Amino acid sequence: MRPSRPAARLAAALWTALAVPTVAAAQPAAAAASPWDLMQLMHALQQVKSASGRFTERKTVHLLNAPLVSSGTLSYVAPDRMQKVTLSPVPERFVLDGDQITMVGGPDQQTHTFALTDYPQIGGLVEGIRATLAGDLTTLDRYYDLRLTGDAASWELLLQPKDSKLTRFVKSIRITGSQNQLRAIDTEESDGDRSEMSIVEDAGDAR
Amino acid sequence: MPARRRLALGVWLLVIALCVAVIARTRLQTDMTAFLPRSASMAQQVLTEQVRNGVASRLILLGIEGAKPATLAALSKSLAARLRHDTAFADVANGDDASLAGAREFFWRNRYLLSPGVAADRFTVAGLHAALEGDLGLLGSDMGALIKDSLPHDPTGELLTLLRPLAGMKRPHNRDGVWLSPDENRALLLVHARAAGFDIDAQQAALALIDADFQASRQAVAGAAPARLVESGPGVFAVQTRATMKRDASRFSLLATAVAAGLLVYAYRSARVLLLGLLPVATGALAALAAVSLGFGFVHGITLGFGVTLIGESVDYAIYLFTQTARGDSAAATLARIWPTLRLGALTSIVGFSAMLFSGFVGFAQLGLFSIIGLIAAAAVTRFVLPSLVPAEFFAAGAGALAVPLLGVIRHRRWLRPAVAVLAMAGAMALAAHRGNFWDEDLTKLSPIPAAEQTLDRQLRHDLGVPDLRYFVVFRNADEQQALAESEAVSAILEPLVARHALGGFDVPSRLLPSDQTQRQRQAALPDADTLRARFDQALAGLPFRPDTFAPFFADVAAAKHAPLLTRADLPPALRLQLDSLLFKRNNAWNVVVPLRDVTDPGRVDAAVIASGQPDVAFVDLDRESDRLLHTYQHEATMLASIGSIAIVILLLFGLRSPRRVAAVVAPLAAAVIVTAALLTLGGGKLSIFMVVGFLLIVAVGSNYCLFFERQYGESETQSRSVASIVLANLCTVSAYGLMSLSGIPVLHDIGMTVAIGTFLSLFFAAAVSTRGLANHPAAAESIRHPAESP
Repeated sequence: MRPSRPAARLAAALWTALAVPTVAAAQPAAAAASPWDLMQLMHALQQVKSASGRFTERKTVHLLNAPLVSSGTLSYVAPDRMQKVTLSPVPERFVLDGDQITMVGGPDQQTHTFALTDYPQIGGLVEGIRATLAGDLTTLDRYYDLRLTGDAASWELLLQPKDSKLTRFVKSIRITGSQNQLRAIDTEESDGDRSEMSIVEDAGDAR
Repeated sequence: MPARRRLALGVWLLVIALCVAVIARTRLQTDMTAFLPRSASMAQQVLTEQVRNGVASRLILLGIEGAKPATLAALSKSLAARLRHDTAFADVANGDDASLAGAREFFWRNRYLLSPGVAADRFTVAGLHAALEGDLGLLGSDMGALIKDSLPHDPTGELLTLLRPLAGMKRPHNRDGVWLSPDENRALLLVHARAAGFDIDAQQAALALIDADFQASRQAVAGAAPARLVESGPGVFAVQTRATMKRDASRFSLLATAVAAGLLVYAYRSARVLLLGLLPVATGALAALAAVSLGFGFVHGITLGFGVTLIGESVDYAIYLFTQTARGDSAAATLARIWPTLRLGALTSIVGFSAMLFSGFVGFAQLGLFSIIGLIAAAAVTRFVLPSLVPAEFFAAGAGALAVPLLGVIRHRRWLRPAVAVLAMAGAMALAAHRGNFWDEDLTKLSPIPAAEQTLDRQLRHDLGVPDLRYFVVFRNADEQQALAESEAVSAILEPLVARHALGGFDVPSRLLPSDQTQRQRQAALPDADTLRARFDQALAGLPFRPDTFAPFFADVAAAKHAPLLTRADLPPALRLQLDSLLFKRNNAWNVVVPLRDVTDPGRVDAAVIASGQPDVAFVDLDRESDRLLHTYQHEATMLASIGSIAIVILLLFGLRSPRRVAAVVAPLAAAVIVTAALLTLGGGKLSIFMVVGFLLIVAVGSNYCLFFERQYGESETQSRSVASIVLANLCTVSAYGLMSLSGIPVLHDIGMTVAIGTFLSLFFAAAVSTRGLANHPAAAESIRHPAESP
C-alpha cells in the first residue's frame, strides 16, 4: 500500500530532522530514542568554549580494601583540550590535547606522552567525557550507545561502549549535569572498579 | 693460410676456451666492501656490513594511499594478514595488536631475567615496601587503569623498567588500530624481508609477493579500488636501481651499437668486417674477466659492468686496422705499418690503468687488472688474429670522406695551435678560480635513487618513526657472551648520558638478551619462595592492599628463579630481527652496533666512550665516516691519475725518444682534460668521483689519436686514411658515451658526459697540436703538397 501524500511528507520531514546533525553514515540509534533532548543537550554543550572547576574523586579498586580519594581542578578548552590537575594526596597532571595524552606524576614526577588510541583503558574513558563536553554527537555515537534521562535542569547521560576493545575495560560512563554544566562523572570498569567524581564548576567561564 | 697464422688462430681459440672455463666457475660478488679501503677502520667495516646485510637492509616501508582513512585501515589489516602468511617475510607490523603481541609477551614473561631493576636490595622488606607504596600512588592516579591488571604479577614494576627506554621513541599515529600518517592519507606498514637487501633477486620476489597480496586485498576490501601502494627501503631501491641500470644500459648500448654499426657499415661496406671488429674487445673482456677471477678469487659486479667501458678503446684497434687498409693493400701489410703506433697507444693506456693496481681499494685494483689484461688481449688479437680473417680484397670504401673536416684542421694548425693554448689556459684559470672547491661533496648526488624516491623514503620513515640514524657505538668481540657483557658495560656508560639529555636513547643487544652471567646474577637476586613471602607480608604492613592480591607474583618469581637462561632462540621474530641487527657474527667475530637516537651532544658521548677506557669501543658519526671515505676516494683517484700520467710520460719518452715528440702527444691530452674539467664545472657544476674515471678514459682513448697524428705528415692516400680511421673511431666513441650521458644514473651520466666531451676535444686538439711539421719527418719529401706549411 502506498502511503498517502501528507503522511509521506511528514515522514520525509521527520527523516530530515533526524539525519541532519549526525553524519549520514552513523546510525543514531540513541538519537532516535530521545532525539529532541539529546540534540538540545549537545547544542547547549557546544556553546561552551571553555570551562573549569574543582573535583573530588573517590575510587574503588578491587585490589585495595579501602577507597582512594583525591581532589584537584579540571579545565576544558573547546574543542579538544582537557586537563585534570590532582592536588591531593599527591600532585599529578593529566592533559588530553587532540590525540595526545600527557601525564606527569609518579614518585619522580616523570612525564609520559602517548596517543589516545594506545591505551583503550584510558582512551575509552576520556574520549567519552571529552566528546560530551564538546557536544560532539558524531564521536559519541561512534564509540558508545547513548541514553539520556531527566530534563534540562537535571540530566543524566549514560554512555556504554560499543567496541569490544573498549568493553573489555569500560562498562559505563554516567555523566550528570544541569543545563550545560557537568555535575558528576561516574565510571564503572569491567572489573568492577568504580570512580565517582563530583564537580563544582567555576562561574564566569566563557560560554 | 701460413702455419704461423694457423698457430695464432689455434692459440686464440684455446685461450678463449680456457677463459670461458675459468669464468664459468667465477664467483660474482656485489659486496661493497671491495670498494672500502684495505685499511678501513673497524667502524667502517662493521657499518658497511650492516648496510649490506643488516636488518636495516631488509626493511621495506609500505604506504597505502588514495582512499578514505577507514578504507586504508581495512586495507592495511587485510594486507598485513596476507603478508604474515608468506614465509618471505620475517615480520610484518602495521600497528595492530599482532604487530606488538610477540614482543610484549616476551618482555612480560621474562621480565625477571631481562630487567636491570632485578637486584638483591629490591627484594628486601624495605625494597618491597617502597615498591608497594609507589604502586599505591600509581593506582590512585590516572595511570592506575594501565597497571591494575599487571600489578598482582609485577608489584616491583619490572615491566615498566623494561619499557622505559622505549618511552621516548616516537610512535606512529594510530587509527582503527593501525598506523596511519598524521594527515590520515596513508596507511603505513613496516615489513622485514627474510632476504638480505643485497640479494636483489630475492628482494624482487618479495616485492612481487607484496604487490600480488595488495591486489588481492584491494579486491577484498569494499571501496578500495582506487587505492595504491607505495614502497620504499634499501631492497626497493636496489631493485629499482638495477631495473633502471639494466634499462638504461641496454637502451643506450643498443642505440650506441646501432649508431656505431651504421657508421662502420658506411665506412666498411661489409657486415663480416663489422663483426670481425668486435673480436678484439670481446676477447679482451673474456681474458680480463678470467684474469681478475684468477687473481682475486672473485669478480666484483662493478668490475663486470664497468670493465668493458674501460677497454672500449679496443674497438678502435680494429677500426684503425680496417680503415687504414687501402685498396689493393693487405690487412697484414697495413698492420705491419701501424703496429708500432698502435702498440705504443695500447701501452700508454695500460700504463695509465696500471696505477689502479696499487689502489688501496680492492675494487679499483680489480678494474686496473681488468683493463690491463683486456687491452693486452685485444691488442694481441688485433695483431695476430684479425689480419688472417679479413677478406683479401677488403678495403674501407666509404672511409675517405670522413677525413675531410679534420684535414682542414690539420691544414690550419699553425694558427689553431695558439687557439688550443688559449683555450687550455682559460680552462686552467677557470679551474684555479674554484680554488680546489670543485669536488662534489654531496653523497646523495652519487646515489642512483631519484630525488622523488628519496623524498618518499624520508616521508615514510618520518611518519613511521623509523629514526634516521647517524651516530653509533660499535665494537667487536670474539666471544658472543663477552660481546653481550661488553654491551652491558656500554649500556652503563650511555645510561647517565641519556639522563643528562646528551642523547635521547639507544638500543643495546643486552637489553633483549642479557649475558648468561647477568641472567644468573638476576636469578640469584630473587629470594626463594618462603623468604619472599615472609618479607612481602612484612612489607605490606600499613598498606591497604588486599592480602590475597599478590599470589601471581610469588608464582612468577618462583618460576623465574629456576627458569632456563634465555637464548637467542627464545626471542619472537620481531625482536630476533632487532637483535640480529645489533649483534651479528662476521669473520669469526661478534660485531655489536649500538644505534644512538636523538643525539644532541655528540662530543660529550664521544668523550664518555673514550673516557670509559673500554678497549676497541668506537663512537661513530656515519656522516663523518662517509665524508672521510669520499675524501679517501677523491684523494686516491687524484693520486692514481697523477701517477698514471707520470708513468705515461716516461713510457712515451722511451717510445718516442724525443721530449719534443712527447710534448706533441701530451699537450693536446692535457688541454682536452683541462678544458673538459672546466666545461663540467662551468656555472657552479661540481666534479664527481666518476668524472675522474672519465678523465683517465680521455687519456687512454685520446693518446691513440695523438700518436697517430704525431706520425701524420701530409695528405697522401695513406695519411688521409689514417685520419679517417681516427675520425671514425672518435665518432663511435663520442656517440656511445654521448648516449650514455643521457642516462639518469649518476655513474653512467657522469662518465658518458666526461668521455664524450673529452674525446671529441682530444680529436681536434690532437689534429692541431700533435700533427708534425713537414720538415721534421724524413719521409716528408715524398709527399710535399703544401710547402707553405713547413716551418
